[in-house]
Amino acid sequence: MAVIAGRPARGALLPPQLRALTGTRSGALAIFVVRRILWMVPIVFFVIVITFTLMHLAPGSPWDKGGGRQLSDTVVNNLNIRYGLNKPVFTPWFDFSTGHFIPFRWDDQFKLYIWNVAHFDFGLSYQYQGKTVSTLLLESWPYTATIGVLAFLLIIPIGVGLGVVAALRQNTRIDYITMGFATIAASFPNFVIGALMVVAFSVLAYRATGGNFYLPAAGFAMDDSLIMPVVTLALLPIAYTARLTRASTLETIRQDFVRTAWAKGLPERLVVVRHVLKNSLIPVVTTLGPTFAFLVTGSVIVETVFAIPGIGRAFVVAIESRDYPMILGTTILFSLVVAIANLVVDVLYVFIDPRVRLT
Amino acid sequence: MHIGAWSRALTLATAGVFIAACGPGGTTTENLASPDKQILRANNGTEPNSFDPTQQTYTYERAVGIQTFDSLFRAKADGSDVEPVGATSYNVSPDGLTYTFHLRQNEKWSDGKPVVAGDWVYGWKHFLNPALAAGYVDPFFDQTIKGASGYGNVDVSSASAVDAYLNGLGLSAPDDHTFVVQLDHPAAYFKWVATLWMAVPLRKDIIEQAAGGAFASTDATKAEAWANNAATIVGNGPYKIKEIASKDHVTLVPNPNYWAPAPHLQQIIYYEIADGNTAYSQYQTGALDVIGVPLADVTVVRSDPKLSKEAILIPTLSQYWISMNTTRAPLDDKNVRMALAKSVDRDKLVNDIEHGNGKSLSTFIPKGMSGYDTSDNAQSFDPAAAKQLLATSGKKDALAKMKLLTRNTTASKTLNQFLADQWSTNLGVNIQLDVIDSKTVTRDIRKGQFDIYGLDGWIGDYPDQQDWFDIFVTGSCHNLNWGCLSDPSYDDLVTKADAESDKTKRASMYSQAQKKLIDNAVVAFMYQPYEYDLVKAYVKGLTVTTTDDQNLPGDGRYNTAFITQHT
Amino acid sequence: MAIPATTVEQLVDWEVPEQQIGLWSDALQRFRRNRLAIAGAVLIAVLVLIAFGSPLLVHLGIIQDPIKQHVEFIESSPGQNGFAIGSDELGRDTFARLLFGSRVSLAVGILVQAIILPIGLAIGLAAGYFGGRIDNLLMRFTDIWYAFPDLLFVLVVVSVFGPSLLTIFGAIALVNWVGLARLVRGQVLSIKEKEFIEAARSSGSPPLKLILKHLLPNSLGPIIVTLTFGIPNAIFLEAVLSFLGVGIQPPTPTWGQMVFDGYEAIYANPTSVVFPALAIGFTLLAFTFVGDGLRDALDPRMRR
Repeated sequence: MAVIAGRPARGALLPPQLRALTGTRSGALAIFVVRRILWMVPIVFFVIVITFTLMHLAPGSPWDKGGGRQLSDTVVNNLNIRYGLNKPVFTPWFDFSTGHFIPFRWDDQFKLYIWNVAHFDFGLSYQYQGKTVSTLLLESWPYTATIGVLAFLLIIPIGVGLGVVAALRQNTRIDYITMGFATIAASFPNFVIGALMVVAFSVLAYRATGGNFYLPAAGFAMDDSLIMPVVTLALLPIAYTARLTRASTLETIRQDFVRTAWAKGLPERLVVVRHVLKNSLIPVVTTLGPTFAFLVTGSVIVETVFAIPGIGRAFVVAIESRDYPMILGTTILFSLVVAIANLVVDVLYVFIDPRVRLT
Repeated sequence: MHIGAWSRALTLATAGVFIAACGPGGTTTENLASPDKQILRANNGTEPNSFDPTQQTYTYERAVGIQTFDSLFRAKADGSDVEPVGATSYNVSPDGLTYTFHLRQNEKWSDGKPVVAGDWVYGWKHFLNPALAAGYVDPFFDQTIKGASGYGNVDVSSASAVDAYLNGLGLSAPDDHTFVVQLDHPAAYFKWVATLWMAVPLRKDIIEQAAGGAFASTDATKAEAWANNAATIVGNGPYKIKEIASKDHVTLVPNPNYWAPAPHLQQIIYYEIADGNTAYSQYQTGALDVIGVPLADVTVVRSDPKLSKEAILIPTLSQYWISMNTTRAPLDDKNVRMALAKSVDRDKLVNDIEHGNGKSLSTFIPKGMSGYDTSDNAQSFDPAAAKQLLATSGKKDALAKMKLLTRNTTASKTLNQFLADQWSTNLGVNIQLDVIDSKTVTRDIRKGQFDIYGLDGWIGDYPDQQDWFDIFVTGSCHNLNWGCLSDPSYDDLVTKADAESDKTKRASMYSQAQKKLIDNAVVAFMYQPYEYDLVKAYVKGLTVTTTDDQNLPGDGRYNTAFITQHT
Repeated sequence: MAIPATTVEQLVDWEVPEQQIGLWSDALQRFRRNRLAIAGAVLIAVLVLIAFGSPLLVHLGIIQDPIKQHVEFIESSPGQNGFAIGSDELGRDTFARLLFGSRVSLAVGILVQAIILPIGLAIGLAAGYFGGRIDNLLMRFTDIWYAFPDLLFVLVVVSVFGPSLLTIFGAIALVNWVGLARLVRGQVLSIKEKEFIEAARSSGSPPLKLILKHLLPNSLGPIIVTLTFGIPNAIFLEAVLSFLGVGIQPPTPTWGQMVFDGYEAIYANPTSVVFPALAIGFTLLAFTFVGDGLRDALDPRMRR
């Protein structure tokens, strides 16, 4: 008698029409994507819970100022009323100390916030009077996205290129130089590299060339002021992409089918592009998600040094000023971006690696 | 030459240069650049949280507010008195309770409509609306204006309660050119309150239009809808906002309907670069015309042949002191506090750490304001005396357990590490630092949960002593008087001086109060910071005063500034 | 930022080797042949020596006291006023502070991993051993944790609980345990597939003891490599925290703080930021090389 495995067959609980879909590859893919999207809801919910808790644990209210004349208690009180901060943070429906159920309140801060988020209303910023969080995010988003995308466009060709070259010329000087550069770029704090670049390419270049050839030290415009921020942002991801590509390319090269191709006398470039690249890129694709997430979040430092009014900078400022809605809105945005990036990567994975089964 | 003397010489020299260059309308504008080059680019550091001047509390907000809106008066360039702006003259009734302001006849809004007294009443009521929770209402306005003292008790969820409060205020407009304010009790300093940047007129029709119609006075969001859009920010100031590039810059252009002669500057761009080094780089590559010099770069600028000529040193009406929590032993003992005050070498602090950008001060009122008096040296540096005082009190061990609350900014950390080192060297007491983020520090001092807090900085709101002495009255405990020292005789002197209109008597009372502060070591006065800025050589005619905003020299009177031709 | 968990998995993901005898001696041999790894190991040894020995050096007067201020000599250049590589914004000797900074950096690196180890082990073990629902739940939990921006978490935690050493180390550890947990889980799952475990399973659930007995020797390699790669990450994060203003309390010198404070003086005294940055950089390099070397040495696929 066959041992029956403990789990029901895949798709056992689906209605017949959908179950048929799981048989086809595109059907399975569609279901996979839908399931992942549905998963984002509880993930975002928990992110909200954690952030909410942390925020309200943080001492100091949004109305405390950094020095000098403080707002009077009256004003603080009125502000709290105005922004709904006088309501309880959260009222559980069960009081553990007394063991009784508490009448359910709809208007504690947490539930109100969840309700608003479900309606895509992320609230008013405490810091920038009269502006909604959505407006602020939409204003800052293009800056971060631009340097992020540009950095991404640098990372893929340069990172992968360096890694492949180093792997093909393993243990030669080229290998050491490229990997050395990659490791060094990954080791030094990128804000230092950024600051040194400003000193060198902005101020010193200005002085040396009498004001003719230099890069702007700050600000955002679709011109050469983007060069230094993008390079600073891209350095670390280039480094670990290169290292990863090298490692996986080395592995791929040792495989039998590649050896066969060499033995057949095919030119190196053909072998590399047609056989090696596709397979060695598989693990690199998996890191694309985290890389993308890094570009979004790691831009904090770059935005500070180069005075770019993006989301990273807005986020740090929001934490400093205890702008709760802004903190929550930014965190939700970050989490969604990371989740979507991971989903896209997983879908790409399916197309690149035929061995992958969707779990 | 000793740095202290050097900076004094430089200050006098530059002050002389600027003041000489700016007579009333008689500027020597030789070599004027063409109008399209009359652009001033400065760094305001941070974007204002609101463009509604009634809601502005920070200096970087005031910088924009005073360009777009005018108050009744402003401080004279030398800070000695007020001069007319929105109002040309005023009368005070003999009992000191009624102020009648005669408004400027030809003042117009930036959209061409004339400014009338009703606008002033509307603006002041908007400011005093409890539902809007403006930061500067207390104590300047709610403790002076008749009917305003109930500000803290109004139920802000009830429109009728708010309306009743607002209608009960002593503000009226008997005709279009007269604005009358009634006070609750005499306050000689009220003319200075009228210089504050939130006390401005506002346009009811524009605000209501931006809000989509008339709105309840409890609706704060609607009441502020006009303030986020350059098109609806209509003011009576010398400039108007042309564009707001969020968190990047604000562009100001001249108000074509302003009553004074047209300024030379055709554009003022306030950038919002938070990082001092970045702004410094921008200055050096010619992208900014005016910046504040980061402390670390002061020596570089001084030794640079080109940059040193572009630098100016400006005394500010501000001070730094060390607050001590007098409710905690052993800081309740005057000798202990005095020992802490007398064991810090202020000259070293100013000359070495601040590179001479300041003036060590062991008295209260800073230089440049009436009341400046260094005769009382009870707190001045004397390590031997300090040790003696501490020994007399016998509380050295208890003192060593105290912690120095520090904000986690570079400036605070540097200065407080210096203080700890001084106390360790000169008193033999090792006080540890407690570095916490800024908001938490504020929370701690508001609740009185600290031992020693440094360095507490204070910038005067206006150059009158009342603003300074009210900090330390008993009622200000937990609200600026963090150490909560209570001295009824001091309170008495200050209350009387605030109300006294006779100048001599007033000065004498404040002087006695100052002596009490110093001798009681309520706080340990440290130094008066000076501002060190860089201004491009082609920017001329700036009227630099002690009441300008941070890193924006001359921003109180941009109409005198102009750009000369340059490559 | 955290080195992406999947990256680490990719770098250390391999199956449990069949043969365990001679693994360690073989590994040691291969490690010794790797010149970069040896260089890294030597540098780390030097750092450890400096970390432990610097107070002694101060006591003996060989180097200056790192917290002694000389405000007359603020921001000296290298060689000026008797400072080997200059002084900082309070006139303290940069060289001495550099040496002392190694203590904090090594502490951050090693202690953070010490906190990660039990957390990652426990969760990975639980997920792999119990399988099914619990595994699913735990993996979804790591997904959520992964979606959480780690910089936010650390910033807020440090703001809430104050910047004490424990809080900072704990916070950094809490954002970086996911990689180790996933690794351990993978190892446990692959052990469970072995025949002798199947045999044990038919008589009930696979005994925990047996799994642990096989887990430890086979997974020690990848675990060590994971931890080693995590050290530079922790040091880097401490530097970023200092840059954002929520790091370790002064006047304790840390390299991150020195870079942060020196950054302000980058025009006046560039060496005050370059030297601590170099210190961080070389330490990270050393640990990376050692990590690479360990991975190559312990990789069973590269065995002859």
